[in-house]
Amino acid sequence: MATSRKVTLLSSDGESFEVEQSVAVESITIKDSIEEGSAGNPIPVPKVNSKILAKVIEYCKKHVESAKAEDRVDDEDLVAWDADFVKVDQATLFDLIRAANFLNIKSLLDLTCQTVADMIKGKTPEEKRKTFTIRNDFTPEEEEEVRRENQWAFE
Amino acid sequence: MHIKSIVHELREIRDRIKDIAGRKLERRHVHRQGRSHIVPETTVPTPSCPEAVQQGPWANLPPELLLHIIKRVEASQISWPSRRDIVACASICRSWREVTKEAVKTAEQCGRLTFPISLKQRGPRDFPIQCFIRRDTANSTFFLYLGLSPDLSEGTSKLLLAARKIRRALSTDFVISFIADDFSQAGTSYVGKLSRSNFIGTKFTVYDSQPPWDAAIQSNHKSHGRQNPKQVPPSVPSGKFSVATISYELNVLRSKGPRRMHCNIRSNPTSAIQEGGTAPTPTEFSRISVEPYLSPLPLPASNGKKQLNEHSSTSCKLLKSTHGAWDPLVLRNKTPRWHEQLQCWCLNFRGRVTMASVKNFQLVAALEPYQNIPTTEHDNVILQFGKIGKDIFTMDYLYPLSAFQAFAISLSSFGTKPACE
Repeated sequence: MATSRKVTLLSSDGESFEVEQSVAVESITIKDSIEEGSAGNPIPVPKVNSKILAKVIEYCKKHVESAKAEDRVDDEDLVAWDADFVKVDQATLFDLIRAANFLNIKSLLDLTCQTVADMIKGKTPEEKRKTFTIRNDFTPEEEEEVRRENQWAFE
Repeated sequence: MHIKSIVHELREIRDRIKDIAGRKLERRHVHRQGRSHIVPETTVPTPSCPEAVQQGPWANLPPELLLHIIKRVEASQISWPSRRDIVACASICRSWREVTKEAVKTAEQCGRLTFPISLKQRGPRDFPIQCFIRRDTANSTFFLYLGLSPDLSEGTSKLLLAARKIRRALSTDFVISFIADDFSQAGTSYVGKLSRSNFIGTKFTVYDSQPPWDAAIQSNHKSHGRQNPKQVPPSVPSGKFSVATISYELNVLRSKGPRRMHCNIRSNPTSAIQEGGTAPTPTEFSRISVEPYLSPLPLPASNGKKQLNEHSSTSCKLLKSTHGAWDPLVLRNKTPRWHEQLQCWCLNFRGRVTMASVKNFQLVAALEPYQNIPTTEHDNVILQFGKIGKDIFTMDYLYPLSAFQAFAISLSSFGTKPACE
């Protein structure tokens, strides 16, 4: 049985996290840099702060453990666990998306993007703007086009 | 301290009540089946105070991540009314609009109708888009819905277009609009019209409110002598581009026999149905008011060659230079076969038409040997129209027709006079 190798990840705000290598390589970005030999020790993770990195590591740990488990019933539990995992405030969700993208963790990116997609559904444009605090920056011409489209779509 | 926390709690409760009330309204709004006009909040002009509205981090989400998210919304909101979520995504701000338009494929590519412009895009190649038309005889109005039939698509049908028959002194027009109660040809809801061009009701012309070119040609046109709408003289009839003609012929041999139909579709080349062929597809409405260089088409001759007038106008040159020799697509109705036992003319509508009517038809491409079209296309039904109930008709269309073209052609069936039935 191979001894589990550990690596240290360093968040953007200087906090260290020691994790199993099998967990760290859930991130293709980290996996590539380890394989290329350019990783360094500890491995710096520049765009991700400690709070978010801790969450990402928690996600990767859970998924690596589930993959090892032989019992297939755990799939449903994993889905439920994922659903709980993304019950966070918007700012954290936003940071998780960016972290998942930067670290190239496909399943986490899919999960977080799907969560946002679900938040978007069923809302009018004005409600969406409020939810995501986005300003309407259309020109009067564009606004007219948008108004026409919505009038047709909601007819 | 105690009182402050009570006041804080009361405020939270008040906010929650407001939220619940808002959500209830929203649910009612979402569940309405589009029978009444619901004009969403974007029509209320919001004062632009950029300083007042602080943007959250989502406004700066990288486009590729936003695309990832919106693609997921698009993939799950397949049918109406939930598909309006995608239109809502395109209504938030410029960056979201750009990304949403990128995420949504054309009607031809995905077989789904999303934006109003989808109605002017070619249908899918492999399967028809299935619609039905409801006729309101009292108001001379016709409504095109996306859906199998009123019964089968209860709650999920989507009103696509409406048309009103307007009788004038010398002609009859079917004005087609995006909005059910606005048939003004000057407004932004005007899509096009079908005009009956002879008294006995056997010849029709289809006019589009927009030039029937693709975006590449449009941008070419924009850069070569952009026309400022303000500079176009008022006498120029902008918004009137002839795109097709339809003619009916009485069956002179059998007075009770099926009539013959021919459609000459100038905005579609025959090459569109060749192996690997394509047809131009608009992805947005042109904002420029362009002088209509294209004159009404001549009536279809027996020979399919050289249907297009030899215009020297820039627009025609652009069309020809981009698409090579442009043979307009000619469609004819599939000849029904005589059923000896039933003593009637029959067509296989594959269950989509259930009542006999002289209005029922199937259109296939009318092809010449030189056009080099594979034989599989010769019998491919591009448009099918027929009666399923009193004032209810199904309409199924395929590439290379668009919903607008299919609807206009189907309306001609209502425009023919009893003399030719």
